Amino acid sequence: MIIDVNAWTGQWGTFPIPGKVWQVRQSLKQIGVDRMWMSPLGAAWSLNPHLCNDEVYQAGQESDDIDPVPIIDPTIPSWPDELDKAKETKMVHWVKLLPAYGSYTLCEAKGLFEALSSNGMGVIVQVRLEDPRRQHPLAQVPDVPARDVVNIATQYPDLRVILSGAGWPALLEVADSLSQLPNLYADTSQIDGLGMLKFLVDFGLETNLLFGSHTPLFIPLAGLARVLGEVDDQTAETILGANASRLLAEI
Amino acid sequence: MMPYEIRSIDQDASQLLAAAKHSGVRKMCLFSLHPDAPEEPTIAQCRQANDYVLAYRDIAPEVVLPFCYVNPRHTKEAVREIERCVGKHRMVGIKLWVSCRASDPLLDPILETAVAFDVPVLQHAWLKTSGNLPSESTPEDVAKLAKQHLRARIIMSHLNGHNPRGLEAVADCPNVVVDTSGGDPESGMVELAVSRLGSHRVVYGSDAPIRHFAVCLAKVLGANLPQTVIKDILWNNAAQLLPPWAEVSALEDEK
Repeated sequence: MIIDVNAWTGQWGTFPIPGKVWQVRQSLKQIGVDRMWMSPLGAAWSLNPHLCNDEVYQAGQESDDIDPVPIIDPTIPSWPDELDKAKETKMVHWVKLLPAYGSYTLCEAKGLFEALSSNGMGVIVQVRLEDPRRQHPLAQVPDVPARDVVNIATQYPDLRVILSGAGWPALLEVADSLSQLPNLYADTSQIDGLGMLKFLVDFGLETNLLFGSHTPLFIPLAGLARVLGEVDDQTAETILGANASRLLAEI
Repeated sequence: MMPYEIRSIDQDASQLLAAAKHSGVRKMCLFSLHPDAPEEPTIAQCRQANDYVLAYRDIAPEVVLPFCYVNPRHTKEAVREIERCVGKHRMVGIKLWVSCRASDPLLDPILETAVAFDVPVLQHAWLKTSGNLPSESTPEDVAKLAKQHLRARIIMSHLNGHNPRGLEAVADCPNVVVDTSGGDPESGMVELAVSRLGSHRVVYGSDAPIRHFAVCLAKVLGANLPQTVIKDILWNNAAQLLPPWAEVSALEDEK
């Protein structure tokens, strides 16, 4: 069982990508992904990201293997309505935040975190979508500090939190917290560098790591190769699917 | 707390070669930027880096294809170091990093020596939104270099660092190929490189250990390209660039 916790659909302004739902689904099925947690990429640059969520709700209705992960912006006053809509939609267990693109801090999402916690839902915080060296010069977006995400997991122990898109330097900074906080996880989508994933596993994070491909911005096979190229088969199975399965069962 | 610590050359070689083998990499064009990776290395640091790579080749001669690292700012010494490494020790290429922009005339003697020895030059290049280092080459610098040295074979490193604009700078430079290393495994970049430069002007590069052999292989294997093109990128195109003493032959087509 392979579960991709970081898939997207939509287009990206600086480069053409195969981002239609069927293209993303097909490309992930080709590498053996059984379930994909999908968010709308257009939400990153939308003034109201909630308007982009219908795309993934519909995708989830049409394909059993797509779990919609709507984007919620806690600084938009109607966010409770969007959360209600998510709750009413089959298969929505997680919502995703894009603080750097919405230009807010996680401190401003206190109400949302409390609501998610009381509803038994989890939150995915995307700390990077694109390498800052590669961004459009007129649209530069800094990474969200991984420490800010750790602080949320610390403050809300009943809330399951996934740190998504962190590179290895950011993950090394918070590796201790990841190993200590039972409600904090990280996806593998941007852990590059030889030996990095294995190092994090050896550090004791095997049960905290979740497979994320970052498709269609990244090539799906690259995400899979990152895991299979670094760890033994049993650990790969844990990261590729077992950890996310466990989370889904718990939530 | 760093995962890739080098304690000895044997440990380094053992780790890197095992990872390469695990990913299916059979040959490695290898260079060292010196343990401190100074942006402007002294000639002594370049020699130390090159001696390290020669020792590496002694450990795995069937895998390692050594490249000679020089700093063009020490021009005469750099040429002498190439003569030592390529002429005497049969290294198979020259590596240039960030000490000097590729468009700088200081590179002329280096390129002339490369042509004389019939070896390729691996030139680092990026086009960073966040700003290049002061002497870090852009694809435009590489294009200027290539147009001044038409007989030189130049490998421009880091396809994903050039972004789609950078590729255009070298599109009309037939003596430049790009390697697929550097940056994230973004969708469509290898296909774009093949489309803009032609399938014979793209070669596989990993940037290991900064990046992972397998992740970078997936950029090529996961690209929407015919198998023959993939085979060219992973092997044949590099085989065409290397000198005869590298003993890397193009793969014959399967019947």
